[in-house]
Amino acid sequence: MTARAERFVTVHVPAPLRDCCGGTTTLAISAGSVRGVLDELERRHPRLHWNVCDETGALRRHLNVFVNGANIRDACGLETALAPGDTVTILTAVSGG
Amino acid sequence: MADRVLLTIGTKKGLFVAEASRTRGRFALRGPFGPGVAVYATLTDTRGTPRIFASSCSAFFGMKVLRSANLGRSFQESASAPAFPKDDGRALANIWSLESGDHRRDLWCGVEPASLFHSDDDGESWELVPGISHHEHARKWQPGNGGLCLHTIVRDGSHLHLGISTGGHYRSEDGGRTFAAANTGVGAGFVPDPYPEFGQCVHKIARHPGAPGRFYMQNHGGWPDRPGIGVLRSDDDGRTWQSIAKGLPSDFGFPIVVHPHDPDTVYVAPLDPATRTCPDAAPAVWRSENGGGSWKRLSRGLPRKDAYFTILRDAMAIDDLKSPALYAGTTTGQLWMGQEGGEDWSCLFESLPPINNVKVAVV
Repeated sequence: MTARAERFVTVHVPAPLRDCCGGTTTLAISAGSVRGVLDELERRHPRLHWNVCDETGALRRHLNVFVNGANIRDACGLETALAPGDTVTILTAVSGG
Repeated sequence: MADRVLLTIGTKKGLFVAEASRTRGRFALRGPFGPGVAVYATLTDTRGTPRIFASSCSAFFGMKVLRSANLGRSFQESASAPAFPKDDGRALANIWSLESGDHRRDLWCGVEPASLFHSDDDGESWELVPGISHHEHARKWQPGNGGLCLHTIVRDGSHLHLGISTGGHYRSEDGGRTFAAANTGVGAGFVPDPYPEFGQCVHKIARHPGAPGRFYMQNHGGWPDRPGIGVLRSDDDGRTWQSIAKGLPSDFGFPIVVHPHDPDTVYVAPLDPATRTCPDAAPAVWRSENGGGSWKRLSRGLPRKDAYFTILRDAMAIDDLKSPALYAGTTTGQLWMGQEGGEDWSCLFESLPPINNVKVAVV
């Protein structure tokens, strides 16, 4: 791992949203919390952010965010701390009808 | 010469477009467009080269506005959707109405929670309209079963009329800068005061462009103790309203539609107020040709029994050909066409997803 990579977390983008960020499956983002990741998404990829969060900044109800496989709901929500090298995965919840 | 009849059909599972010649002999269906999520609002904007706009309501990824410049052969997402300012505290839950404005690129958009947005660039960007969205009543409105929605936008020059469920009818005389509640005669069955200043569950408002000041309203009726408050007419630009429900099997219903060539001819689709399906399971559209003075049942071609569907507030429309046809989409996925002004019904499509919205334009 390079010194540059060590400062970043890896964000996995769900397939339906990849056209909001140039088709990429992962984004390298420097942030110390999930909220920081979302703030950075809003700055760099506003369309992607609009799909993930509503205008109050809340995570959309039918999306889940995992840090290293653990749902942030079971940690500190958007304030869940991140360390360099962590993996942040955004996935759609099981819902529909 | 406009030679095609274009239907936009918003469903629970995406947007469809159906097209036929002016004879309406056979409609060809295209779609579904969008990501397969609910579509509550569609608009065919016939100012200049026709364009189609539609809302797209994703439980996963939020609200979008779709746009087509090729009569619904393909759709693209607009650059942005309406969104509340960050410090407002409200979040967009649905897009209920899209209407064209005065100028070529003007659009209005009604949303849930009940608020109004305006775009002057074909929906690329949107601004909250504070006159209604920050109205002193706004935080007192309550959601109905469909949510707290601003579902109807009716324009008449600089006058703007809004239908909000449950908020009532609001009108602006200054192009949307300020709004006032205008509900005199509009009843409510779910609050102690039978005629409150605001807070009514208005279902739909319609007008005829050639009859300034004449409006029709389908309000939330079906209250045994407050009969007749469901179907109303105003002859003074929406300031006061009178019941025109006498003669209908029920004053509960969702859509109300005005004949394109006769402001005295109006259509409703009465529903059983308990089940909100067709009375006696035998669907019919009812027509008045004298401004609601009397009503006639129109059902030739519709099922005679065992039909339990609902026609939602935006799921009935009428084209503006010489002998116009009505179109009615059902919650069970049928799209019906009533030729000869609703006299003769046939099913155009029988297995679509549940239908929220039907609009028609001749292009």
